Amino acid sequence: MSAAAAVLRRLTFSREVVLLGVLIVLMIVMSILSPFFLTVNNLLNTSRFFVEVGLMSLGMTLIIITGGIDLSVGSNLGLSSVAIGFSFAAGLPLPLAIVLGLVVGTAAGLFNGLFITLLDLHPLVVTLGTFALFQGLAYGATGAEAVSDFPGWFAYFGQAYLGPVPGQLFIFIVAVVMVWLILSRSRFGRYVYAIGNNEEAARFSGVPIRRVKIAIYSGIGLLVGMAAVIYTSRVYTARGDSGLGLELDVISAVVLGGASIYGGSGTIAGTVLGVLIIATLRNGLTLAGVPSTWVLFVLGVLLLVAVFFNEFFRVKEE
Amino acid sequence: MSLSDDTGTERAATVAEAPTVFRLLNVTKRFGGVTAVEGVNFDLRPGEVHALVGENGAGKSTLMKMVYGLYKPDEGTLEVGGNVVEFSSPRDAEEAGIAMIPQELDLFPELSVTENLFVGRHRPRTSWRTLDRNAMRAEARQRLHSLGVDLDVTTIVKRLSAANQQIVAIARALVGEAKAVVMDEPTASLTEREVQQLFGIISDLISGGVGVVYISHRLEEIFTTSDRITVLRDGHHITTASTNELDAEELVRLMVGRPLNELFTRSPHRSGEVTLEARGLSRAGEFEDIDFALRQGEIVGLAGLVGAGRSELAQTIFGIRPPESGEIRIDGEEVRIHSVQAAMERGIFYVPEERRSQGLILPFSIKNNITLSILDRISRLGFVPRAERQTADRFAKELSIRGASISDPVSRLSGGNQQKVVLAKSLAREPSILLLDEPTRGIDVGAKSEIYRLIDDLAKEGKAILLISSELEEVLSMSDRILVMREGRITGEFKREVATQENVMTAATGGESRSTLNGSRKEASKDE
Amino acid sequence: MSEARAPTEGRRVSRGEVLRRFMVRPEAPALVFLAVLVAAFSLSSDKFLSGTNFESIVISVAVLGIIALAVNQVVLCGEIDISTGSMMGLCAVAAGAVALSTGGLILPLLAAVAVGALCGAINGLLVTAGRIPSIIVTLGMLYALRGVILLVTGGTWITGVPNEARVLGTGTVLGVGYPVIILFALFLVMELVSRHSTWGRNVFAVGGNRRAARFAGLPIDRVRVLAFTLVGVFVGIASVIYMGRAGSVQTNTGTGLELQVVAAVVIGGTSISGGRGSSLAALTGAVLIGVILNGLVLLGVPGIWQQAVLGALILLAVATDVLRRRLVEGKA
Repeated sequence: MSAAAAVLRRLTFSREVVLLGVLIVLMIVMSILSPFFLTVNNLLNTSRFFVEVGLMSLGMTLIIITGGIDLSVGSNLGLSSVAIGFSFAAGLPLPLAIVLGLVVGTAAGLFNGLFITLLDLHPLVVTLGTFALFQGLAYGATGAEAVSDFPGWFAYFGQAYLGPVPGQLFIFIVAVVMVWLILSRSRFGRYVYAIGNNEEAARFSGVPIRRVKIAIYSGIGLLVGMAAVIYTSRVYTARGDSGLGLELDVISAVVLGGASIYGGSGTIAGTVLGVLIIATLRNGLTLAGVPSTWVLFVLGVLLLVAVFFNEFFRVKEE
Repeated sequence: MSLSDDTGTERAATVAEAPTVFRLLNVTKRFGGVTAVEGVNFDLRPGEVHALVGENGAGKSTLMKMVYGLYKPDEGTLEVGGNVVEFSSPRDAEEAGIAMIPQELDLFPELSVTENLFVGRHRPRTSWRTLDRNAMRAEARQRLHSLGVDLDVTTIVKRLSAANQQIVAIARALVGEAKAVVMDEPTASLTEREVQQLFGIISDLISGGVGVVYISHRLEEIFTTSDRITVLRDGHHITTASTNELDAEELVRLMVGRPLNELFTRSPHRSGEVTLEARGLSRAGEFEDIDFALRQGEIVGLAGLVGAGRSELAQTIFGIRPPESGEIRIDGEEVRIHSVQAAMERGIFYVPEERRSQGLILPFSIKNNITLSILDRISRLGFVPRAERQTADRFAKELSIRGASISDPVSRLSGGNQQKVVLAKSLAREPSILLLDEPTRGIDVGAKSEIYRLIDDLAKEGKAILLISSELEEVLSMSDRILVMREGRITGEFKREVATQENVMTAATGGESRSTLNGSRKEASKDE
Repeated sequence: MSEARAPTEGRRVSRGEVLRRFMVRPEAPALVFLAVLVAAFSLSSDKFLSGTNFESIVISVAVLGIIALAVNQVVLCGEIDISTGSMMGLCAVAAGAVALSTGGLILPLLAAVAVGALCGAINGLLVTAGRIPSIIVTLGMLYALRGVILLVTGGTWITGVPNEARVLGTGTVLGVGYPVIILFALFLVMELVSRHSTWGRNVFAVGGNRRAARFAGLPIDRVRVLAFTLVGVFVGIASVIYMGRAGSVQTNTGTGLELQVVAAVVIGGTSISGGRGSSLAALTGAVLIGVILNGLVLLGVPGIWQQAVLGALILLAVATDVLRRRLVEGKA
């Protein structure tokens, strides 16, 4: 191995530091591209956008650490959003409708978890199926219509401020702290890493593998439900195609944050930085007048580059 | 004793004159800072069976991987047929006539026997340029037949028995007109009869002038089949000698550096109440109608050949899979053990056979490996307390785990210390019933004797211990009572005082002792 | 020697054995399901089994089926490709653009195939040389290529494709539509290649046991790159058929197609883990999807439910595969 690669390897040892550096560089670039970028107003507004992706990425981190994946999160968001809007339109009091949204999101995740564990199937193909199923259910149940007349207070979730800071940012911060605690300090988190590194040895050590897997897929379902509430409140509309394509952002954020797509490693800090980087990219490019078409392209390429560097610099064992 | 028809001296002379099939001269191989093999010489002559022995980690597979083109020697040379060569891939080795059959049998489970023989090889074609499947099948049949076996060559390989899969692997290795075949633990999953069949095949191979490298831990087999033995220890070449110049005790001494009987610790213990009882336990295809009892403070050895169903039985008791019929009783009460958690709740713990893939999470620290089984007990409100470290430390000290601090990844430890970590994890759970599956396999002597002492101490504390082992000496020396399994059933039970190598082996092999079977095979081959 | 038998020549095989051998084949459940569905639909609606209806079903899934035949090879060697929807859009754009400027059929076809092969090759190289898992590569490419489409077309549709370029979509030979002919022709080609070419056999080995394939000296990277490139070629051909039928190319052409393709492959019986399956499975899966969607229309189910049905089918297919393995084959 060349000296340069060895030095690089030592640097990436602290992946979070590298990511922070990338984020700072990116912010500098974006502020050059547009004078509006580095204003407090803009930054705080950006945080609105990334909370939804961020919440889902927290859950996706645990799933990817166990070596799994969930392609259905975007569709699940649409389904949960539709559950909120259309149950409300059908007469359910809005607070209950919100709860229903959370329930639907969690139930969808639970469905994934049960299918994967009870039938011992690969998460890839199951969540590919539920990706279609959830989206299809959302479309079918709503006839591709939308619900928009919510009472004023509903905007609180997605559009309010607590002081100068957007309300949902607090929710996100609380969620980050909680998931971080779970992953790094609790026995559940230890189980997650164990399963991702050597599932068979975990089984022989008494780790309740099925229960853990069902929990993480249900957990991301709950996070998706929360994201659906915030999103629906922010755009003030419930539509079947909400969340379309978000799985790309979510998976990219987790992978960018350092998690190996093969499982076994990943951190919340890394994921959060990944989310920030993607949000900065999206926001900065849009402000600079780059058409949204380019943004998709850049995200796709970013994902490829992120995984490539991940695996390239990861220590390879014989 | 060797497998050919010629008398010993005539054969020795023929073998000694012929040029070597291949030769490794003074080879060294390093991985990072670790030297796997250093200054080793090894050669294979045509028509000989050359056994390669040594404990796990001695360097046997590294050495053979250099012959097979998977590794390049850092120092030293490889010669094939007298010419120095350098292989960059297994393909090169195969073209030079060297074939390897790894323990995992690199076969393609979804493809037929015929397809397996032809993967990566030239396939016969019809005049239409399509594959001539009839010709392929005919050739496959013929190759199997020359190994003395007839199979339906259209069978998908995953449906074959372990022995037949092995034969397909051998046939595949020979398709390239191999001059040397390296077999790595070939008898690991075979029944006794299948082992004899394999010896017959090897016998035919060598009379055709092929050289066979036989890597195995099974000393009895080595003495039956090989002409020469090379011993490696810790990556160094200890000796190469004719088989008839060595005996088992001396061989072990060369392998481990210490005579056998110094290893074992055995103090008298008193057995208490019956704590674990199995009645009529069965699982189709694994074991049938198992009845036995374990007492507190008792060490029961479970002997038998690989494939007898011992690990499967222990794993069923540990809740990895449920029994299909029969019952398990703990302290007289019938229990249903449907999960590992349930087994652990009942005070049972199983130390698995495969340390690296089943017993440890290699990237985890030593501490995290040890506490993995007790996280539910030590965590408060779901969180792991800092006191975890003290607990892990305590076990690390008790078991004398050396070589790294408990925050280091367990992959850094030697095999013996890794095994101690696995044991620490099981002891952390404070089980009253311990199922140990090959607890001393592939570890150095020092660690072995430490583990024997530990097992002895555990029995003194009143734990009930089931000791599964393929090493007869170990079973005979450590157990209060010996159970023997063969092909899924219990075929013998011996109290310590009356157990001998003979009667245990007889129960394990079904009453056909090796020497007579070998003799009859020799007779048969003379007739052909 | 528990499985030793008499030589197989002239061995009489029992009917139970034949049935078992059939049921064990990867395509069996899909074929059976297809037969059952065809029977059910033709009983409930007279329109179903008419020649024109059946042909229209096959035409509607020709694009799907052609791409599925190629993605089948990718799945067989242990990888996956979910970029085909965007790939098809891009190939159709290329074909349309060339058709509008130069006319004819050959040049647009060549353009589509070239663009497809290039995209496929990029996928293959990223997976092999880049050592990036194929799910990630093709997920990234799915979005990246969609962006490229919008970039290249500037958001405008391609309309008014000349008739001669639309032949593969609209023309007929002896009364049978070109799409059907091409589908079956490519099916035969893939069957031949899969059974009789070295690459075809290697695909099974690489997907069945990658480690053993490496030790056997198989050129694993080359096998996979070829598989991905083949997808691109077939997508190119399919895109010209699509363009022929639609007469125009939109910026969202092909959206969602990748899911249907993977569904076809999986529903047809090819195992998602690799090493097991066949071209017949891919074809059956595509036809099955066509029959189901057609049946839904006949039953009056609104098209908005199609996505849900597709998802449910995928889940059903993989669940059935697992259950069937446990029942018919027993534990391996």
